[in-house]
Amino acid sequence: MNSEQLAVEQIDGARVLTVRGEHDLYTAPPLREGITAPLDEGVPVIVDLTPATFIDSSILGVLLGGLRRARESGGFFSLVLGDEAEPTVRRIFEVTGLLSVFPIDASSAEALARSRGDGG
Amino acid sequence: MSTHVEAPDVWLSVPARAENVAVVRQALAGLCEALLAEPRVVADVKLAVTEACTNVVVHAYPGREGVMEVEARPVDRTLSVVVRDHGLGIVPRADSPGLGLGLPMIASLSDSVEIRGGADDGDTEVIMTFALDRLSEPAR
Repeated sequence: MNSEQLAVEQIDGARVLTVRGEHDLYTAPPLREGITAPLDEGVPVIVDLTPATFIDSSILGVLLGGLRRARESGGFFSLVLGDEAEPTVRRIFEVTGLLSVFPIDASSAEALARSRGDGG
Repeated sequence: MSTHVEAPDVWLSVPARAENVAVVRQALAGLCEALLAEPRVVADVKLAVTEACTNVVVHAYPGREGVMEVEARPVDRTLSVVVRDHGLGIVPRADSPGLGLGLPMIASLSDSVEIRGGADDGDTEVIMTFALDRLSEPAR
């Protein structure tokens, strides 16, 4: 996976992972590492799925793993699904009924504000 | 302009490796687009086929190489897709690395699904159908 598919930034003390293009079993390991490493260091993690064009249950498993880890450690984990997010990506959350399980923000700015305790 | 579209059947046989799941997905998406399937159906075919192929990659050939075969055939605006392995097929595993969501998702995304085989050393086939013109959830 290249940096265009998974961009990693440190913004306001949080790790922001921007997921672009198609992701499945093959690209799940680097995403898992990108999520778990900062959470283990107590760093808030925000995964922006807005530019993603496809994700499968392998990726859903990675995201659920991140959520569980954050809950266990009292850390911060959020997904971003903006208005322009692909219907295909929203579809997997609908089909699995997991849309209500994740903390979801409409923008990374909103997620960052929540990670600082500014709102929500 | 005629709305009748001819598209060839797709037959794929690839090593059952994670990197090949995207190859199958793109081939099936291309076929669906050539058949002028509704965008929602294209999305559902991509996701269901990805889940079926992932099952093969993760479960069918523990500790060894194997083949993943995919056949797709349009008949009367219905696409039939078969994902086949020659390994363990779909068997319960206590150490499964996945969420166990693959088959329930395939059932939700397709208009019909059938699993054939699954014995210890026979072929296993996941047979899915998709109505190419549906605008909403699959009919059940």
